[in-house]
Amino acid sequence: MKIIVPIKQVPETSNVKMDPETGTMIRTGVEPIVNPLDLYAIEEAVRLKNQYGGEIVAVTMGPPSAHKALREAISMGCDEGILLSDKKFAGADTWSTSYVLSKAIEKIGNFDIILCGERATDGDTGQVGPGIAAWLNIPFSTYVSQISEVTETKVTVKRIVENGYQLLDVERPTLITVVKEINFPRLPTLDGKIKAKQAEIPVWGPEEITAESEHLGLKGSPTRVVKISTPKVSRDGERFSPKTDGEMEEVVDCIIRFFEEKEII
Amino acid sequence: MTEYKKVTQEIVDKLINIVGERNVIWNEPDKLENYSHDEITDKKYAQMPDVAVKPKNAQEIAEIMKLANKEQVPVTPRGAGSGLSGGAVPIYGGIVMLFDRMNKILEIDKTNMMAVVEPGVITNELNQLIEPDGLFFAGYPMSVESCYIGGNLAENAGGGRAVKYGVTGRYIMGLEFVTPEGEILNLGGKLMKNVVGFDLLKLLIGSEGTLGIFTKVIIKLLPVPKARVDLLVPFADPETAINAVPRIMTESGIIPTAIEFMDKLSFETSYKFLNEHFSHDDAGAMLLIELDGTDPEVLEKEYEMVGKLCQDNGALEVYIADNHTTIERVWRVRRNVAEAFMVYSPVQSLEDIVVPIGSIPKILKDIKTIAEKHDVLIPTYGHAGDGNLHATVVKKQEMSLEKWEETLPKVLLDLYAKTHEYGGSISGEHGIGHKRKKYMVDSVGAPAVELMKRIKRAFDPNNILNPGKIIDA
Repeated sequence: MKIIVPIKQVPETSNVKMDPETGTMIRTGVEPIVNPLDLYAIEEAVRLKNQYGGEIVAVTMGPPSAHKALREAISMGCDEGILLSDKKFAGADTWSTSYVLSKAIEKIGNFDIILCGERATDGDTGQVGPGIAAWLNIPFSTYVSQISEVTETKVTVKRIVENGYQLLDVERPTLITVVKEINFPRLPTLDGKIKAKQAEIPVWGPEEITAESEHLGLKGSPTRVVKISTPKVSRDGERFSPKTDGEMEEVVDCIIRFFEEKEII
Repeated sequence: MTEYKKVTQEIVDKLINIVGERNVIWNEPDKLENYSHDEITDKKYAQMPDVAVKPKNAQEIAEIMKLANKEQVPVTPRGAGSGLSGGAVPIYGGIVMLFDRMNKILEIDKTNMMAVVEPGVITNELNQLIEPDGLFFAGYPMSVESCYIGGNLAENAGGGRAVKYGVTGRYIMGLEFVTPEGEILNLGGKLMKNVVGFDLLKLLIGSEGTLGIFTKVIIKLLPVPKARVDLLVPFADPETAINAVPRIMTESGIIPTAIEFMDKLSFETSYKFLNEHFSHDDAGAMLLIELDGTDPEVLEKEYEMVGKLCQDNGALEVYIADNHTTIERVWRVRRNVAEAFMVYSPVQSLEDIVVPIGSIPKILKDIKTIAEKHDVLIPTYGHAGDGNLHATVVKKQEMSLEKWEETLPKVLLDLYAKTHEYGGSISGEHGIGHKRKKYMVDSVGAPAVELMKRIKRAFDPNNILNPGKIIDA
């Protein structure tokens, strides 16, 4: 069985600061890491491989330095990593990104399952996974919390929906985006790290994946960012405390009035 | 023994005059209860204060101390209350002094690599502020997210990085403090060397709030290591894990920042508490080894070497955490062991013994024997790299509370006797407080205790400041 895991390198956002002027993130000193939600996809791929055998190929589109993300994936148990890196890819939106990834996956070929994280922690769209499936014209399931069975022809998944779970039998090949509930990602091992350090990571550009240039990069992206702004959080509290029991009723009235003014009740 | 007076309305009015009405908590038992205990779960170590005050500067503290001396009312300074020996508990009632309003970072002096802070600054906040400047404060108690720097100083807090960086006191270069009688004094400065007179600065550090009240602290900062990596290493059993420690320390030629040890009961309890999962059912113990350095490539070679040493010495696997997210993930487990135990087994005594690192394998065996002899659980975790072990004596479910009260002192006597046999000490970083006071003579000898009493009397003739801690002066 061949499993492909498209991953993304994102800025470490656990203690990130925003520039209040531009509304963008201050990237200096922020280390790039594998998108935390992609780790669940990698972990699930490693588990499936351990159970059913096969190989795992991690693939990412990004700057040349993104090979680090692929090495991280290899150190967790992926067999190979492929880096899609070219100036022409730069500035891609989710539509163009999923196009490039789908072309790379076509080139890898012979795949059975594509596993993606639910979304990336920087862009937060959750569109690239389903986008890849659409370009490849294969079935996909999102928000999957369990892959219960893989047979010769189908995959049984449990996906989280608004008021419960949905159990689906999906034909292979298929794409699955997974949620945090699915597993606990393992840490890279020392042996994995050494293997990852030595791994050859091929770099593919538009020619290698026979991508059409009008679909690439900023120019090939239909999305236009008009404005980015940071929502302003303000707290507008007031404190009413009764000094004696007799004042209690008065204070309650004050609170009700306060809520009414704020149109809460 | 000194006779203390209860705090009266008249005294409270005087306190209000000093700090303002908003900063005095009086006649509000619900609020005062928070200041009656620290992180020790056993209620017998708790005591309600009469009143709590929140001064904002050294002058106010000096006035409070003068008033307290005049009125014969004890004063107990209290940081964040995350202590583990009762140091901040007002065992004779009286005034609890809080530092919530003295939480300003006064100066970051990049030229001299020093910070000047007030005692109520949370340790982690200082580090977060100076990290962008490439600086850090090397003190790293496990309560780093909540503890106050003043408390770190009072206890001379150790923690997870002592193997390489030593403990809090090493980084304290100067102090402004208020004496028990209400004088404001300065010690040291932004100086790396200073040998004028007795080293009162070092005497105050670790004095558990019995000799003076810190109001300003000058802290030496270090360049923040650019690269950090942690190795999480499961072993089949504690013996194998612990036996690997001296080998890592001597054969690698590398000084790790930390080597932390957790036995099975410890890490399983913490994982459960954090709702995390660890996929090594065969693991009986774990080491968490941290290395840091300036060059990521050099560090990579170093961790490979340490990792291979672990593999050669019985590691079941060697996991590597080398970015902020994964490092935090592995340390969170270690940091939360103590809290997890308080949730799952509140009837316990968290111990803090320290032995020479070469004796750790031996004392671990002794701990096992002691646990079996007295029919208690003693999960053990701690700072294996510096010999500081948090053996936690825990009551078994089936043991009655009466029996436990009878058993615990016997367990401690056995544990401390073994500790002393190896040239160890009964507290590495938690301190004596009132919890371990009765073991002082056995630990340091009667003449040393007598000398400490005389020092205490010299600083605090009326025995007003945090009385009944460490020794009975």
